[in-house]
Amino acid sequence: MLLNGVRWDGTSRSMDQGISGLERAMTFSLKESVHLVSDPANLDGSVDEVFRLMLGVNCLRQSKEPSSHAKAEEESVTAVVGFGGALSGACVFRCDARTAMSVAAHMTGMEFQEIDDTVKDGIGEICNMLAGAWKGKVPELAANCGLSVPAVITGRDYNLHVQSPQFQLHHRYSFIDAHFDVTIVCDSLQ
Amino acid sequence: MNEVRTLIVDDSSVMRKIVERALRQAGLDSLVVLEANNGAEGLDLLRSKQVDLILSDINMPSMDGLEFLRQIQAQKLAQNVPVVMITTESSEEHVKQAIQAGAKGYIRKPFTAEQVKERVLSLLTTA
Repeated sequence: MLLNGVRWDGTSRSMDQGISGLERAMTFSLKESVHLVSDPANLDGSVDEVFRLMLGVNCLRQSKEPSSHAKAEEESVTAVVGFGGALSGACVFRCDARTAMSVAAHMTGMEFQEIDDTVKDGIGEICNMLAGAWKGKVPELAANCGLSVPAVITGRDYNLHVQSPQFQLHHRYSFIDAHFDVTIVCDSLQ
Repeated sequence: MNEVRTLIVDDSSVMRKIVERALRQAGLDSLVVLEANNGAEGLDLLRSKQVDLILSDINMPSMDGLEFLRQIQAQKLAQNVPVVMITTESSEEHVKQAIQAGAKGYIRKPFTAEQVKERVLSLLTTA
């Protein structure tokens, strides 16, 4: 069967198979649909949806390319949610401490003075929802790509490195006076 | 509406707060919330507490939401209590698995308070 250019044999799966189970069950190809999967509009739409519904704010995509290097003296928060199955890779959300506290404040209605566990939890959930919304834009990915639980990293003067991804989307967005970066890294497509 | 004892199962404390707030916005002022961090903690609570409604995430460490649902059925806990899954997983396959495991409703993250109201109030009035 061919669905939107994606070959599919209808093999059923169970979430409790986990990511490795999904990989074993995969018998179709998304490679022919890389233009759909890597469409930048999908990421913009996902960011808009998550921030509008969960924080009640509108985000604008910035034309300036985000830097992959944070300022050394500035504390930053990075959340990573891994993709497995039809697509291997990760969704990465990165912002400075002030933006992280603002995001958590909008989510919870609380005020934060430091990057505590609640702030980290909130940023992890934002990344989780962005990853879920992004893969949900392509039905074959929604059904055949699993998500890891979020990992959150905080600190100063660190960089994230990826080795020759198949494709990468790297966008900067802003809301009110805060800004953040979202990166989709695709290591491989089945 | 009478007191509604609700179990919210999610590994994110922020999401549990957001779900609780959405329930209150849905008009459930007399809400009593029990919280669990994963399916195993949820089962422990159900062994000792009675609830009227369960809202559960799917992707959680220790015991995920689908296994939590299966164990509720297998251990005959919270019988006839509606379970609504709240999750980032939104494919038809995931919805089908949740319904097969016993879920009565499905809410995709991100969600609005209106969506929560729509799903939950109809289940409470028919329960």
